[in-house]
Amino acid sequence: MLKSPASNPTAGVHSADTQAKIEASEKTFSLNAKDKYYAWLFLGPSLLILGVFIFYPMFRTLYLSLFLTNTVGKPTVFVGLQNYVNLLTSADYLNSLLVTMVYVLGVTAATIVLGLLLANLASKQLAGIGIFRTLFSATMGVSVSVAAIFWLFIFNPSTGFLALMSTWLHLPVIPWLTNSTWAMIAVIITTVWMNLGFTFLILFGAIQSVPRTLYEAASIEGASSRFQFFHITIPSISPTLFFVSIVTLIEGFKSFGLIDLMTKGGPTNATNMLVYRIYKDAFYSGNFSQASAESLILTVIIALFTLLQFKVLEKRVNY
Amino acid sequence: MIAKFGTFLKKHFLPILGVIVIAIGVVFVNASHHETTAKAGRTPIVFWHEMGGPAEQALDKMVKSFNQSQDKYEVIPQYEGSYDEAVQKIIQSHGTSASPALFQSFDISTAQMMHSKYTTPVQKFIDEEHYDTSDISPVARSFYSNKGQQLALPFNTSQPVLYYNATLLKKYGITPPSKSPSYSEITRIAKQLYEKSHHQVKGMTMEIYGWLLEEALANDKTSLINHGDGHTGNPTKISVNNPNTVKFLKWIRTNIKSGDFVNYGSGASAETNEIAAFLAGKLGIFVQSSAYIGQLTTGNKNELGISYFPHPDGTKANGVGIGGAALWISNDKPEKVQKGAFEFIKYAENAKNQANWQVATGYLALNKNSQKEKVLQDLYKKIPAARVPGEQLASAKPNNANSGILMEGMQLTRELEETAMETVYNGGNINSALTTADKAMNANLQTTNKANGR
Repeated sequence: MLKSPASNPTAGVHSADTQAKIEASEKTFSLNAKDKYYAWLFLGPSLLILGVFIFYPMFRTLYLSLFLTNTVGKPTVFVGLQNYVNLLTSADYLNSLLVTMVYVLGVTAATIVLGLLLANLASKQLAGIGIFRTLFSATMGVSVSVAAIFWLFIFNPSTGFLALMSTWLHLPVIPWLTNSTWAMIAVIITTVWMNLGFTFLILFGAIQSVPRTLYEAASIEGASSRFQFFHITIPSISPTLFFVSIVTLIEGFKSFGLIDLMTKGGPTNATNMLVYRIYKDAFYSGNFSQASAESLILTVIIALFTLLQFKVLEKRVNY
Repeated sequence: MIAKFGTFLKKHFLPILGVIVIAIGVVFVNASHHETTAKAGRTPIVFWHEMGGPAEQALDKMVKSFNQSQDKYEVIPQYEGSYDEAVQKIIQSHGTSASPALFQSFDISTAQMMHSKYTTPVQKFIDEEHYDTSDISPVARSFYSNKGQQLALPFNTSQPVLYYNATLLKKYGITPPSKSPSYSEITRIAKQLYEKSHHQVKGMTMEIYGWLLEEALANDKTSLINHGDGHTGNPTKISVNNPNTVKFLKWIRTNIKSGDFVNYGSGASAETNEIAAFLAGKLGIFVQSSAYIGQLTTGNKNELGISYFPHPDGTKANGVGIGGAALWISNDKPEKVQKGAFEFIKYAENAKNQANWQVATGYLALNKNSQKEKVLQDLYKKIPAARVPGEQLASAKPNNANSGILMEGMQLTRELEETAMETVYNGGNINSALTTADKAMNANLQTTNKANGR
């Protein structure tokens, strides 16, 4: 979604042939019958695929969300918006909304702060910095299942690394995955650890592309490196920073694998995020109508954040 | 280098594409060939199951020996992932060419399968072939029947039992639990173990698992749901907030307060953690499925003790229900295929196969004649405690309270039970936790009834 300066929609898209046609028609653009035929030919396949795999499921979801579904998942009783009303008044669902927000914001904030810190460190010219750059981006290659199992070992209350450390230091053992507050922290830690590689890489690239001359000028003026960081680096990479935070935010909303492997939404629904809940309602409980309503609510939430991204990015692009 | 490769690609584009297409084609054809075709002259019976790990190997062996034992049918086993997800797969694929002829579906999906009307009740074949089911455990059979009609036949069956570390109890001079212990008996042992080991060993745990709560009610002869847990009519009211649930949770609360109880949470990780702690001698007692017996005896330096599921003081144990899964026959396949599916079910239930199954997996042999089989006798000689779960199963007389809950939406009900348990384990008020669960369960039940026009 990152807009590059080259992506001006009119440049480099038209072939010389169409360019000539446009000029020939004295810069007024109209489609003749043949062009329309071509337009359908080229757009048709993608429209068909979008229709079958995106639009039909979307409308089907909307349709299902207005009914109750029976044992075999068929819509039977029309209830209008009752499913939505039930959801938005149920303490359980509101709790899911709340924990999703806590998770998403926690993950985004921690990922950005840590990613920025590491990227800034790695952009210093030091001997052997290449090793650190590789290490910092290493978690990009780790799959969700591997990360979850790895951290499950660390969090294990009897034999895990953290439990052994706290026993050794005579501290109480933290019930990482069985206490509702700690479980949330545990999944946030794991997600941040997983996200860090990608975030680091993007932010590192952005910092590298800030013109060196700005720093040289600032150094001559006698600005401290801390001042340089907050007044040169941050403003220069702000579009990237915003892009990364929106991507992390949206990815956070969609988080599923990690929750399924680590907590299954528990304990006491403390990590029962929106996506995981949809899955459970549909494929465990077979309650397709409610799951459809939940899906649409989630779609609206993610659409709002995407819209925000486009609006702000358009204004804030800083070249 | 890259440019060279590019021109190479351009030059030989068609041949390369051809090779790739053929390679993919071969892989697909081989894969599908492997899965769905039977030998000439045999009727293929596609069998969906959810047995992973060692149980899958044992099941594949059973299927192979069935296929070799006759030449009319060929059973083709296909692993379908977890129990919960398989239920939806079975229902959603019904009536298509991809659907199974024979499938395994777990205990709490019974009502859903019954109401879907997608299956042929095995009673039809039992009557047609005059098959004698009396050898198969009555409490297991009653779980998968409705008003005298056998819907499916139980296959892999377990019961919750109480495991204890007999060596540790001996070491600290604590009297082991009786064969059918009461709540207070277990509390006493857990407390003594915790005190006498100077807090080095935790006394007991009870996983946050709806199944265990349901079994506690069954053992206390209490129906969770009206109309005899759904066995005498369509359920209309759930009452999880009843005195006997409170009794069960208060018992656990007592142990939590005295410090001898350890909470491992819920789900597969809880089971892994409690077993790890038990094998390491850090935990004295836990209640869990009898299917774990194999895991608890291999590599256990301590002597394993097993007793029946505990019952409240002052009452007699009613006997617990079963867990596990049953074999069902889909009704979207021709008569001949359904008959073949039933042939396999009969084969799976025979004394020899059930005995082998128990030895290989830890699930209980359902055929009472299995007990005479040599493989089981050998197992009991090696591990005397392994006899106990089978005895518990044989001792239970089926009634509505211990024949499972015949209601749809049990997955959600169980989740709500677990939320209530979690709340209590973390110090919440028992009554309010149960009231919350009650409300949500009944709201869900009403929606289900409305959606299905009942």
